[in-house]
Amino acid sequence: MDAARVGVITFPGSLDDRDAARAVRLAGAEPVALWHADNDLQGVDAVVLPGGFSYGDYLRAGAIARFAPLMGELVAAADAGLPVLGICNGFQVLCESHLLPGALLPNAGLHFVCRDQRLRIDDAETPWTSDYSEGQEIVVPIKNRDGRFVADAATLNELEESGRIVARYLDLNPNGSVNDIAGIRNEAGNVVGLMPHPEHAVESLTGPSTDGLGFFTSIVKRLVAA
Amino acid sequence: MSEQRPGGSDGKSKRRAEEPSLEWLADLKSDADDPELAPVDPSVSQAFGAIVDEGDERDRRRAGGPAAAPHAAPKPPAPQGPGPEAARDFSRALAEEGATGATRADASSDVPSAWTPPPSDTGPQPAVGTDSGPQRTVGSGTGPQPAVGSGTGPQPAVGSGTGPQPAVGSGTGPQPAVGTGTGPQPAVGSGTGPQPTVGSGTGPQPAVGFDTGPQPAVGSGTGPQPAVRDEDPLGSGYSRHVVSGDDPLGSGTGPQPAVGSGTGPQPVVRDDDPLGSGYGVSGDDPLASGTGPQRVVGGDERTGTGPQAVVGSDEETRVSGTGPQPVVGSQSDEFWNGAGRDGEGSGTGPQFVVDADTHGTGPQPAVGSLTDEDTRRDLGTGPQPVLGGPTVETATGPQPAVSGTGPQRVVSDTGPQATVPGTSTGPQPAVTGTGPQPAVSGTGPQPAVSGTGPQPAVSGGESSGRGRKRRGRRGNADTGSQPAVPAAPVAPPVLAADLGAPDVDPGTDTVDIALRTPDRPQPFAELGMKEDEYRRVREILGRRPTSAELAIYSVMWSEHCSYKSSKVHLRQFGEKAPKTDALLVGMGENAGVVDIGQGWAVTFKVESHNHPSYVEPYQGAATGVGGIVRDIMSMGARPIAVMDSLRFGPADAPDTQRVLPGVVAGVGGYGNSLGLPNIGGETVFDACYAQNPLVNALCVGVLKHDEIKRATAPGPGNRVILFGATTGPDGIGGASVLASATFDDESQAKRPAVQVGDPFLEKILIECCLELFQEDLVVGIQDLGAAGVSCATTELAAAGTGGMDVRLDTVPLRDETLLPEEILMSESQERMMAVVEPAKVDRFLEICARWEIPATVIGEVTDTGRLVMTWHGETIVDIPPGTAADEGPVYERPIAPPADLGTLQSDTPGRLTRPSTGDELRRTVLWLAGSPNLASKTWITSQYDRYVLGNTVQAMPENAGVVRIDPDSGLGVALSLDGNGRYTRLDPYSGAQLALSEAYRNVAATGARPLAVTNCLNFGSPEDPGVMWQFAQATEGLADACQYLGVPVTGGNVSFYNQTGTTPINPTPVIGVLGVHDDVRNRVNMSFTSDGATIALLGETREEFGGSEWAHVVYGHLGGLPPKVDLAAERALASVLIQAGREGLLTAAHDLSDGGLSQALVESCLRGGLGAKVALPGDPFVALFSESVARAVVTIRPGGESRVAALCEQAGVPVTQLGVAGGDSLQVASWTPEGDQELFSVPLAELRETHERMLPSYAD
Repeated sequence: MDAARVGVITFPGSLDDRDAARAVRLAGAEPVALWHADNDLQGVDAVVLPGGFSYGDYLRAGAIARFAPLMGELVAAADAGLPVLGICNGFQVLCESHLLPGALLPNAGLHFVCRDQRLRIDDAETPWTSDYSEGQEIVVPIKNRDGRFVADAATLNELEESGRIVARYLDLNPNGSVNDIAGIRNEAGNVVGLMPHPEHAVESLTGPSTDGLGFFTSIVKRLVAA
Repeated sequence: MSEQRPGGSDGKSKRRAEEPSLEWLADLKSDADDPELAPVDPSVSQAFGAIVDEGDERDRRRAGGPAAAPHAAPKPPAPQGPGPEAARDFSRALAEEGATGATRADASSDVPSAWTPPPSDTGPQPAVGTDSGPQRTVGSGTGPQPAVGSGTGPQPAVGSGTGPQPAVGSGTGPQPAVGTGTGPQPAVGSGTGPQPTVGSGTGPQPAVGFDTGPQPAVGSGTGPQPAVRDEDPLGSGYSRHVVSGDDPLGSGTGPQPAVGSGTGPQPVVRDDDPLGSGYGVSGDDPLASGTGPQRVVGGDERTGTGPQAVVGSDEETRVSGTGPQPVVGSQSDEFWNGAGRDGEGSGTGPQFVVDADTHGTGPQPAVGSLTDEDTRRDLGTGPQPVLGGPTVETATGPQPAVSGTGPQRVVSDTGPQATVPGTSTGPQPAVTGTGPQPAVSGTGPQPAVSGTGPQPAVSGGESSGRGRKRRGRRGNADTGSQPAVPAAPVAPPVLAADLGAPDVDPGTDTVDIALRTPDRPQPFAELGMKEDEYRRVREILGRRPTSAELAIYSVMWSEHCSYKSSKVHLRQFGEKAPKTDALLVGMGENAGVVDIGQGWAVTFKVESHNHPSYVEPYQGAATGVGGIVRDIMSMGARPIAVMDSLRFGPADAPDTQRVLPGVVAGVGGYGNSLGLPNIGGETVFDACYAQNPLVNALCVGVLKHDEIKRATAPGPGNRVILFGATTGPDGIGGASVLASATFDDESQAKRPAVQVGDPFLEKILIECCLELFQEDLVVGIQDLGAAGVSCATTELAAAGTGGMDVRLDTVPLRDETLLPEEILMSESQERMMAVVEPAKVDRFLEICARWEIPATVIGEVTDTGRLVMTWHGETIVDIPPGTAADEGPVYERPIAPPADLGTLQSDTPGRLTRPSTGDELRRTVLWLAGSPNLASKTWITSQYDRYVLGNTVQAMPENAGVVRIDPDSGLGVALSLDGNGRYTRLDPYSGAQLALSEAYRNVAATGARPLAVTNCLNFGSPEDPGVMWQFAQATEGLADACQYLGVPVTGGNVSFYNQTGTTPINPTPVIGVLGVHDDVRNRVNMSFTSDGATIALLGETREEFGGSEWAHVVYGHLGGLPPKVDLAAERALASVLIQAGREGLLTAAHDLSDGGLSQALVESCLRGGLGAKVALPGDPFVALFSESVARAVVTIRPGGESRVAALCEQAGVPVTQLGVAGGDSLQVASWTPEGDQELFSVPLAELRETHERMLPSYAD
């Protein structure tokens, strides 16, 4: 069968779309460029919402992108089980779209933060993390301005109780996220939001490690197996 | 190697004599936070121990050192002239200039200018000439003229007050009058403070100055009239605004003071505002001041007015503008003034006017004249007329003056009528209209921005007028006179009066009107043009320029865009360019393009945004990044990375804590949003940058050989498309006003002049351009930066077929009240201009639409050799584009070594007590590692995205940034940006070469082959012979070294007027070197990571401490000579590093520069998390801290030692085995005949703590 096709959505202001596509390619799948203004997911098998500052994030991170034409298609597809990974701004867009609970606020220090971050994978069951083992520690870059995850107590409790925290920060919480949360998933597990950037840790030459590749090889294996 | 240590009693007693007391000790400057790191005691021998024991280091710490100097805050400066920070690539300016050889002037005269000096008559104005020792000029002219001064030297006048201007400044004598006006206004206008003053205020006279000496007129009226000004007050309206204004009205006056003044003094008053004009100032005074007098004068009605009011307004901005200043403003503003507004300007106007009329007269004459003039009116005197008129007639006596002023326009129109003006307003009328502010208002946000200091004024004036009125005007004449305003200076008045053609829209000066009114006075001085430059324009055109043309020439011939002061020196970069095949596009384009092999090319350039970043750190820095990125796009390249070289005042200075976080957030906020990795740069702290921070941004882009785009407009019939952001009043006059001004206490008032960036728009603009390039839809392209549409159209046309027709009224505006002159000067960000074949226009617009980017066809290319612009059907510009773009004036300014150079060079660091024991050396290592310049910059760099695009192989704090270009072959580039102001201060010729050496060495340390150079030359005022000498020396040194090393300069930027008052920054050439990696996988980083690897030092260490970090940090000392330049050794070292890197022999390499071996070891150990054990030959102090060039420390891959030794021998590079990497501490021993003797050891944890906590402790 043909290689799995993973779509990467480009919004005006998306920055890491090329990097996400590269990671998809390195993982063995075919990246498919998706344009925010289209109404067509082009039959892709999974979708990555890349990092950046969609629409400048002038209103609120992800708030405008959420209304892009393609997002309507995506929400429906995600509800139907399409694997979706939102990275950084993509995570923000997923929260704004209510595909994931909670919200991402400006970093506690109010500065943009770019650093190599150690994480622990707490949920290795999602289609995006199955190549990791639960409790595995990895190092990937984090770089954002609005990365502080927050949620009301009930939601938080529900996320924790149901094991929906995908990854947590170790060593140092770079943005003040509650419970050191770096990533979460939806109830079904097909939609994952992650503040750190695994797509920037796929080559030893350009990243602090190749630890991020697992997110992409996970989905490729899942799709091929399917 | 032994040194004479001033340790003996001789040395001691000598020191004593020089340094008074031990209290000095307590003042030792220490930048370290660690209480343990006591300052080394310079005057006491065994200082170390003793000092440390005192335990009060903490207190001492903050005290400024003896050197305190360094920390000394810059004093308020005298006003200076405008100085443009060059934004345009100087290469562009150099290109073609050859042609104009004729224009070259010689330095003989004060200000050698391309053209002959104006006839004597000018007498006074000379002053203007300014540059020169103004005074001379001054001398002549009369007192009054001083005013004149204004024009020019911008500051000169102002600033100084000096010389002639002094008059100005001073308020003095006659000029005073001027001054007056000035004074204050100056403020206004300029923003610049200084000059503005001059100019402005000047009032009138100034104006006068020129033409006439008459100004007197000014004076004239004035004197008393001062009152006059009040009137303007137009302010009146404002009064409220005045807000402050207490009196507001009553007050109004304040200003006048000036008037009254005529006199000297008052002028002063206003000063405040300066720019402030409107702005900031608090108004209060402004007004306050005003008061008094006028009233008197104005007594009458005016009163109310009180221009000042305006002042007060500040806040309102608008308002502010107003008042008098407006007038002033006018001047100041440069354009504005110039611009039609002048009309308004009138306010100013007067002055101008004056000129006109004035004619001759001495100052007052003016007055006298006035009268006459009135008659004359024709002349355009406009303003004065008023004066005269009003004054006289009116009864008002004084005020008239006033009116004159501001109003003048009125005047113009009306004549004395003041009436007219009066009409409504009374004096203000003038005002009235205007409200300069309007301008302000106009815009939304920007407004603020735009507002820009000065301009505001300007605009204000005009705008206002225009603005609102404008419309009115247009429509109807009703506006009556003012309408004229816009055009103000221009025709309007005349028309009305002379032609009696009420149906003509007085608001727009057309070529037709220019032909019919050849003698209309024009505010060229306020636009920063010298009289001979103005005459040259008239010669070129064979008539007087229209206000739009004047706007174009004034900005294109500004220092900022024409490099008129630096060109004669920059030329060397081309003349001495080494032979190379790597240069695909050299100087003359937006940025040079270098062949890096495999069909790839890169283009890179560094540019300054210093002045804006001091005024508004975030936006100043952000738009600096935005501008350089567009430059790179203009070559058809995809931007792939940015770097930033930053310089601030002392790390612990309160203002640094305002400027630094803002600048860093701006660089990051803009660059991060564009998706461009920031791969390196530098951050330096020194008291000399306290009010002159340097923000230099570099961008590098990549393209295939066949994708190079040129900034040309070939092919008649091709369409000219403006795309990107809409045009607003942002930064109008920014190039000439903001970049030109030397900062003083009033600069805060200039905030509005800084453009506001929209990185999101720039991001989609990048993507859009790349698609356009990909489909080959563009014939020529140019970004809009300084001078906006003026620069883009003239340059594109000049470089193409030679002609272009532009319908200026089709430019999409975000403020519909903008006048054509403002559109020409607007520096709204995120705009590009492209030349497209007719058949491809539809596709071009389609792609822009997909990215939701506004794009408009505004004209087409012609073969007429003329740049013609129309405004609603009327021709307002018709010029040979090359005369504006490439044939600007060229000056050979006087040069002379700074008076204190000898003293500085003879004060060698030999007298400084050095650490010698192991404990002292240990403390010194820590002290330096934790000092601002050498401490970790993670607090800054962690705010920059270094990962985006996925090709960053190395980023700070590495030796150089390394970016992969071709993922398949591994082809990539390395870039380093370095400068050292202290070295350059001590010896500019060597300093520039040392900066180049360091960048070259850094690039080579990664294993890259240095290929090309870019530079950003940051200096003080070119009107200071000492600064100009530094500039000449530095450029010569750089050109010579580039030639020797075989690395051509591909482009760069000059930033002048980086000074506070008369104190320039340390001359700071920042040099960028680009190198090539055939395969970035072979790059070498600086981390010690191989346990047990041999650590070797390549290169020779001499005892060199002049300008060193050690002398700076420990003693705050700057003296002696910098390290000796050794380009041959530099090249040899590079050859070894490149070859060894290619052969995989090195596991780490770190260049030695600031802080010497000590700092290199600290950084390599901390970066890799691995310690080192080294033994030092010779004097351990010298070995650790000397800053000799051409050195690097490396770790050798096991088994590669002999091969590295062989490479070194072959290249003639001394190699010394220092020790091995390993452990968790830095252990240092000394070589002795008996074997290594341990000196000290520092745990890495302690080093890290010291190294990393400095910046956060100040910045957070």
